[in-house]
Amino acid sequence: MIEVRELTKRYGGTTAVDHLSFVVRPGTVTGFLGPNGAGKSTTMRVLLGLDKATSGAALVNGDRYTALRRPMREVGALLDAGAVQGGRRAFDHLGWLARSNGIGARRVTEVLEQVGLAGVARKRVGGFSLGMRQRLGIAAALLGDPGVLMFDEPVNGLDPDGVRWIRELMRALAADGRTVLISSHLMSEMELTADRLVIIGRGRLIADTSVRELADRFRRGVLVRSPRPAELTAALTAAGGAVEPMPDGAVTVTGLDVAAIGDMAAARGIPLYEVTSHSASLEEAYMELTADSTEFGAPLERQAS
Amino acid sequence: MIDAFAAEWYKLRTVRSTVAILGTVAGFMLLCLVWSWYVARYWDGLSAARRATAQAAAAEQPLAVSLPVCAVVLGALALTSEYSSGMNRTTLAALPRRPTLFAAKAGVAGALMLVAALASLAVGSGAGHVIVGDRAVPTFQGPAADVAAHLLWLGLTTAAITLVTFGLGAVLRSTAGTITAGMAILFVLPALAQLLPGPWDERVWSALPGNLSNQIAGTPGSSGGHGVLDPPVAVAVLVAYVVVALGAGAYSFARRDA
Repeated sequence: MIEVRELTKRYGGTTAVDHLSFVVRPGTVTGFLGPNGAGKSTTMRVLLGLDKATSGAALVNGDRYTALRRPMREVGALLDAGAVQGGRRAFDHLGWLARSNGIGARRVTEVLEQVGLAGVARKRVGGFSLGMRQRLGIAAALLGDPGVLMFDEPVNGLDPDGVRWIRELMRALAADGRTVLISSHLMSEMELTADRLVIIGRGRLIADTSVRELADRFRRGVLVRSPRPAELTAALTAAGGAVEPMPDGAVTVTGLDVAAIGDMAAARGIPLYEVTSHSASLEEAYMELTADSTEFGAPLERQAS
Repeated sequence: MIDAFAAEWYKLRTVRSTVAILGTVAGFMLLCLVWSWYVARYWDGLSAARRATAQAAAAEQPLAVSLPVCAVVLGALALTSEYSSGMNRTTLAALPRRPTLFAAKAGVAGALMLVAALASLAVGSGAGHVIVGDRAVPTFQGPAADVAAHLLWLGLTTAAITLVTFGLGAVLRSTAGTITAGMAILFVLPALAQLLPGPWDERVWSALPGNLSNQIAGTPGSSGGHGVLDPPVAVAVLVAYVVVALGAGAYSFARRDA
């Protein structure tokens, strides 16, 4: 379980995280989403005790990370796959990490096999591709068999096979009852991996919701076109739908699904020319939620001087 | 605490720069043998009159000159090399108690340089004395106890310079900056100190970290000119450098964001 309470982090005059609160529960994969610069990595750094919170608290299993005696046995984290010294062999990179938390060397061999790096265990990390480094970073996170896992952009640089491997691994870890937090700026990836979503922008919480709730919230009704809109409006309103006329004569109906609208029109003999369900994709929902908080937005139109 | 020391030792021995530095120390140790052999040959060619006044640097001279440089490089890399790759975060996530981690890192770096220095000095000087044998070269005929004290303090100053540079690295966080600063302290400041008006030229020069070892226990059989500090004062100055540098480094390491 991860708890972030009223967390604020300022770097000089810049507020990276601003009174952020959320909880990540065990047994689910929680996607931590936000545009670049939203404060995802900062939040994770504070959770791991790397940066100090300006105010508020970030707790893992009810404790501050820096209070944990052997933290890798409770929390596994991958923040930056490039954060390794290239001259060291893969086995030794995991070896010193294992030693630092009193984990046996046999576990190093196990996790190397689990992430598919057993064959390059004796190779120097400097020669690894980004994908191999991601796997090595995930191996390090799994080393202490922790109940809480945090990954910052784990699919970066992975090929499609690797992306699918990560997705299945995250789902399996959550199915074991572990707490899994994955940050990403790609909703399309989270849609396939996450159960819950914590969306932030400019350091503030925008949404803390399940994937399904978010999809429902952005269902925009059904667009219906008919030559007899007045009659149709009356019938749909009577059936409990909310009807909104569109400028071109069509109507948008919310509260009734496509089948119900079709059945009702057929029962009354009202011809329909078009019935289109109008739900926004999660990607669109996400873009809309974070539209005001992108840090480096490009102007869409440039005025002629 | 034991986990942290064991992990840092694992790290130090599996990084290539450590092997390179130890290789360099071994190379200069061999140079001690070459130097001793040359002194012996040279001595044999001298007339009795020339022998009475001839002087030669001691067997361990190649190490005495190079060990401080190796100490600066290893002391700097021990911490700063992690900042350039971002690995300091991986390390802190594994060992989040910063004072413990700082002590472990400083401890293994200092201990490794101490052992490497003492071992290479003992072998280089011992073999040098065997090569020169009973030739009456003054710097090769000092009493064994004086030679041992001299070598011990060379080793201890090497470890102290490692720790001073390590502390400096924790404040500066940059490999290039730390090594440059370390070299400036060893080689630039002594030259600048000599420009000061007397008696400050000699006083400042004597208090610089690279010049303390010979004031604590000088090379037996060599003429003076090593500085103006009494041995206990020189020891106190050396300890003060270590305490101040490690204190500043530990404060910076514990307080700043990684």
